[in-house]
Amino acid sequence: MLASIASFLYPVLKFLNPPLITEAAVNEVVAGKVQDLKPNSGKIIKFGNKPALLVRVSDTEWKAFSAVCTHLNCTVQYRDSTEQIWCACHNGTYDLNGKVVSGPPPNPLTEYAVNVRGDEVIISRRA
Amino acid sequence: MRLVAIGALLVPALLLAQPAKDSCVECHSVMDGPIQKPALLIKNDIHTANGLSCADCHGGDRTSDDPSVAMSKAKGFVGKPKRAAIPQLCANCHGSADFMRRYQPRQRIDQFELYKTSVHGKRLAAGDENVATCIDCHSVHDIRGVKDALSPVHPLRLPETCGRCHSDAHKMAKYGIPTDQLEHYRTSVHWAALKKGDLSAPTCASCHGNHGAKPPEVESVAAVCGSCHVLFAQLYEKSVHQPIFSAASGGGGCIVCHSNHGIQDPTTAMLVGPKAVCANCHEPGTPGAKTAAQMAQWLDGLDAALKRSSAVLTEADEDGMEVSEAQVRLGDGNENLIKARLAMHTFQPEEMHKPIEAGMAIANETLRAGQTALHEKDVRRLGLAISGFFIAITVVAIWLAIRRLEANGSGYIEPVK
Repeated sequence: MLASIASFLYPVLKFLNPPLITEAAVNEVVAGKVQDLKPNSGKIIKFGNKPALLVRVSDTEWKAFSAVCTHLNCTVQYRDSTEQIWCACHNGTYDLNGKVVSGPPPNPLTEYAVNVRGDEVIISRRA
Repeated sequence: MRLVAIGALLVPALLLAQPAKDSCVECHSVMDGPIQKPALLIKNDIHTANGLSCADCHGGDRTSDDPSVAMSKAKGFVGKPKRAAIPQLCANCHGSADFMRRYQPRQRIDQFELYKTSVHGKRLAAGDENVATCIDCHSVHDIRGVKDALSPVHPLRLPETCGRCHSDAHKMAKYGIPTDQLEHYRTSVHWAALKKGDLSAPTCASCHGNHGAKPPEVESVAAVCGSCHVLFAQLYEKSVHQPIFSAASGGGGCIVCHSNHGIQDPTTAMLVGPKAVCANCHEPGTPGAKTAAQMAQWLDGLDAALKRSSAVLTEADEDGMEVSEAQVRLGDGNENLIKARLAMHTFQPEEMHKPIEAGMAIANETLRAGQTALHEKDVRRLGLAISGFFIAITVVAIWLAIRRLEANGSGYIEPVK
């Protein structure tokens, strides 16, 4: 009898007082439609609880990175005039491989995989 | 027959693979005392790894086992080079594009020219042999490539290398310069970054130069700092403080507020309070002091608001609520705080207030999102508790009914009257 009551109450209590863990990291998101982004342009999208930068380099070439600058966590953006990724906070620049070109960022940007499925652009973490 | 053929091929190959004879190392490595040390150290030297030998610096004939031949003046033996002659000796190879192309085609060849412009080089030329030459920084006999983590000029080791002389009060006494640079540097934000593995963080050479090492002049301090802190330097150059600080004694530029070797992580304690650097010039109650206090209040206010929002969002996230949109937005708020700190270098409150205002709006927006998520969580749990209560009553009622049924011994349940 007690065991039955305990088995009934335990999940209820665990739901009411869950362990302190955050949501599992997102591994893949739909970044939008192919036609939404022109060649030589970029846009910020939500990747879990962090921003990501999707860049359409040319008609067929896409790149995606974590949009969190490795210096002080500002959000980076794509600059079509220089074809580089730029952080407005301290003028850090990265190339289209995510490598630091100039400025204070100590590390490259994390790169994500980009796949086009039909007319959708999918960004996913690399294995 | 086949074995003979293989042997005929291998023997010349093995002979070619033998290192060239070096009688200097052979003899000195079996001697006792300090004369043995170079022969032991040379194994780790980058020059040895590239096929060079003792004789390439000291002269002589390394192929002879006869000391009178190996170390004869006729064979060019110079023995221990004079200290004043060391930079020129190194430059004989390192200043030659043709020679260096064979080993390090991308390496610069102007080290000696730069050295001659440095404080070290000028003093050496004037006859002061107390100053640093090539071997004091790069070591001697066990010289390693500058990217080798064991090299004394590797970024992680360079401060200590410079400090070997510059922290030596006895050695520096006759120059009348401070000896606390290394001590201060080791408390700095730059050293902290370097220790964490950021090899781009500045060391002594990043600001003073390496071969052309000298103290930055007053007018070049902002340019030195600005080579990394580009936007800060641009704003500072247009600010009201630029002409005033440039005329300051003891350095000028950025170091008026941030100091030089012991640069700390900047906080609002630099603006107000007992350690405020603004108070060094702006007395309490003056417009400058009031502006500094206002800036500190804005920065602290935004920082606190963002931290409060972050704490609420984290709590909601840990409670299983979906707040990722607000968390991404909070990143924009933190970015505005960084931009406000940057804009402070205009020393124009109105320029700084723009990112502060934008950041506060985001902090409030994300706080509301977090509080809404927590409220939603409470509502859901209350709903679960109520429904759980009624489910429990139902279960108990069914259980009681089953017991009554079993007690009657019949399959008939009397209707409740």
